[in-house]
Order: sequence, then C-alpha cells, then structure tokens
Amino acid sequence: MLDDKNHLLNPPECAALEPLLADYAARALPPASMAQVAAHLPQCPNCQARVAQYATLLDAFDAEPLALPPLALRDNFLAMLNAEKALLPATATPATPSIEKPPVPMYPPAATSNTALWLRIAASVALLAVGTVLGLLLNRPAAPVVATAPAKEAQTLAAQLTAATQQPATASQRIQLVSDAPGSTRPGDPTVLVLLNTLNADPNPNVRLAAAEALYRLRADSLVGPALIQALPVQTDPNVQITLIELLVKLRDKQAVPQLRRLSQRTDALPAVRDQARQGVSLLI
Amino acid sequence: MHSPSDETLMAQVRDNDLDQLTPLFERYQGPLFGFLLRLTNDRDTAQDLVQNVFLRVLKYRASYQPTQPFRAWVYQLARHVHADHWQKQPVPAGDLEAAERTPTLRRAALAGVAASSDGEHLQDALALLPAAQREILVLHRFQGFDYAEIGEMLGCSEGTARVKAHRALEALRKIYFS
Repeated sequence: MLDDKNHLLNPPECAALEPLLADYAARALPPASMAQVAAHLPQCPNCQARVAQYATLLDAFDAEPLALPPLALRDNFLAMLNAEKALLPATATPATPSIEKPPVPMYPPAATSNTALWLRIAASVALLAVGTVLGLLLNRPAAPVVATAPAKEAQTLAAQLTAATQQPATASQRIQLVSDAPGSTRPGDPTVLVLLNTLNADPNPNVRLAAAEALYRLRADSLVGPALIQALPVQTDPNVQITLIELLVKLRDKQAVPQLRRLSQRTDALPAVRDQARQGVSLLI
Repeated sequence: MHSPSDETLMAQVRDNDLDQLTPLFERYQGPLFGFLLRLTNDRDTAQDLVQNVFLRVLKYRASYQPTQPFRAWVYQLARHVHADHWQKQPVPAGDLEAAERTPTLRRAALAGVAASSDGEHLQDALALLPAAQREILVLHRFQGFDYAEIGEMLGCSEGTARVKAHRALEALRKIYFS
C-alpha cells in the first residue's frame, strides 16, 4: 500500500509534480512537462508507484465493456414516441395540407379523429361533388345514439366543400385518398356516403374502382350492400363493373341477383363482363 | 450517403416532426445507458432513466437551440434526470463522504470489494465516490467529454473542471488501492 505520509515529507519536487502524475500516466501532458516528470521518476519510488496506480486505473477504465442497453428500451421508447405523437394537433404534421381542427368526437378518439381527418382531407382536395354529398348528408336519417356527431361533421364538411371546389386533385391523389379511407366506421359515419358519391360520380374509373374496394372494407355499414348493387347498372367501365360483380359475390348478397341478371344481358356490356355477371348469378343462387 | 447531423434532426423534432427522434435515439441510447449505468450501478434504474431522458427531450423540445451541440444538451438532460433520481434515494451523498473520511470505515466498506474481479472493482470503487466526483470521472473517462465541455456542463471554467477531475481521480485512486 502506498505510504502517503512518507511521501509528503519528500522533496518539494514531488509536491510540485504530483498534480501532473495522472496526466503523465495518460500521456496527456505537453512534451516539456512529460520530460520533467520522466526525469524525476527514476529517483522517486513513491512517485513511480503512484504513476503505476494511475496507469492501472486508466487501463481499468478502458477495459470496461460497452454497456449494452436492454432491448426493451427501444420498445418503450417507441411506445412513448407514439403517445407523444398522438398529442399533436392534426394540423401539426408536416405532410398533410393545412386543415381545420376536427370537432370534439363522441366516439373513442382513435377511431373518430382518423375518420374526421380523412373526411377533411377528402373535402379539401375536392374529392366530392358539392351538391350530391350535401344532399345525402342532410337527408340521411341518423341512428339515435349518434345524432349530434354526424350533424356537426356535416356542417364542417359543407364548409370545407364550399371552399374546396377551387382545387381539383389529380386522379392519383384521389385514388390515394380513397385508399386511405378508414377501414371501419360507426353507424352514421359520413365516410360511406363520401365513398358512395365517389363511386357514382368520379370521372376517373380507377378512382371509382378504389372507392368500390374501400366501400367493401366498410361492408359492416348497412348502406354498402344496396349501394353497390345500385351502382351496377350505372357503371360503364368494364374494370369497375367486374370489380363490383366480384365484391357482390363476396358479400353473398342474393339481392344482387336481379341486377346481375340484367347486366348479363346488356348488349352494351363487354362479353367478359356479361360472363362474369352470369357466373355471379350462378354463385349466388 | 450523407446522414443528417444530430442538430439537424433535433431541429426537426423541435418543429414537431417527432419521427426524427428515432435516429437520435439509436445514436444515443447506448452511450446514455452506459453513462447512467455507471452513475447508478443498476441496469433497471439506468433503463428507466434513459427512458426519462428521451421523454424530456420530447417535452422540452421547444427549448432546444440548433446552435447548441445536441450531445451536450442531451447529456445535460441526463445529468438532471440522474440528479432528480438521486434526490429521491434513501442514501444521500453526504453520508458517503463522511464514511470516506474515516479510513477504518472505508476499509470495512471495501472488505467485500477486494475479492471481486477488476472490472467490478472499478465500478464498486466508483460507487463509493460522492455523486459529483463520480459524474466527472464518468463524463471524462467513459463518455469522452473534454474538460472544456465538462466545464460548460457544470457551469465552471475549463481549468476548474480539470482540477475537479484530478481530485476525483485521486479520490478514486485512494479507494481503489486501499
């Protein structure tokens, strides 16, 4: 063990050099000081021992293994990040266009704020024809529990629509928007109406096709089945027609049979479409 | 491929692009965990404290100035998180200092340490230092901050930081080799 007491009685040179010893061991002194200590050491076993101790300590520091964080740390971090992101107002995300804040939802926040946000984006990129949707929204009887929410949303939507007809969106923007529609909604949610209108009124067949598929995802809503059936005689694009037939078969909705029969006999429909309709009938009967 | 600087990423986080915190997390979770582990000597505590640091990065993001090096800022947050944690601990640093001044008590406390391996020996010796001295040593020797940076963090000059670091190393030497 180092005899500190004796060391203090040694020549003042030791006392003067003592503050330098640690840095000497670390090779962190300017050259003149390094030389000074190096010259002193051979005559002083105490200082030598002290330098050796510092060197051991420094080696111990260097030998310490990297402390690896546990895997759970990342999971917890991501959960915390998502929680914080959920606190951001909808207008704060850089990617989406600047929109009004949604009204206070009646449903659990996660479901409705997504839906409300989608509706607002849909309105702001003029996905909808103004008059039709407005009419549908205002005339539709609301389910008892949810009376207030759709009315509020309809008002905001109407306001958006008035402003939004100035900015037409490209077809691919509309397709993207339709594909982003929520996959589930509560009764009374206007999303279905928006999609229906798109299916019936959008000039681009690919957008209409995307709307049909988005509606299929929302088939829990009682409007969807009948609406898809009603769309059959209206659609003229073969891709949309065939998609509708497929979706109706998937829905196993026998009420589709009369319209499918009619389609299978239409002279202005492509043979492929007529075949598909005929097949659909046989599958549903 | 050029990867964005810490400061660029944090400026984006400050502007509510919170996803840009994830690459910062990847860069700093290791070093911060090591830092807090060496200060607390406990993996679970260190994990909680690191989580706390990133939570504070998010909560205080508005206060971040991009002219300030992110590394210094996040370590400053880490020091505060540790200090807050330390204040809730049952054994205040003052008791440790009193124990160290009495050689007999110190040797008794170290009786268990002598038998352990060198690696644990260093960590145990560090654990017996007062928190402030342990912090300086860890910042300098493990986290690689220089005396100027440590001075900024502690609110003192580079020269004072150097002197404090020396005193801390000297105190460690005494514990380690006694």
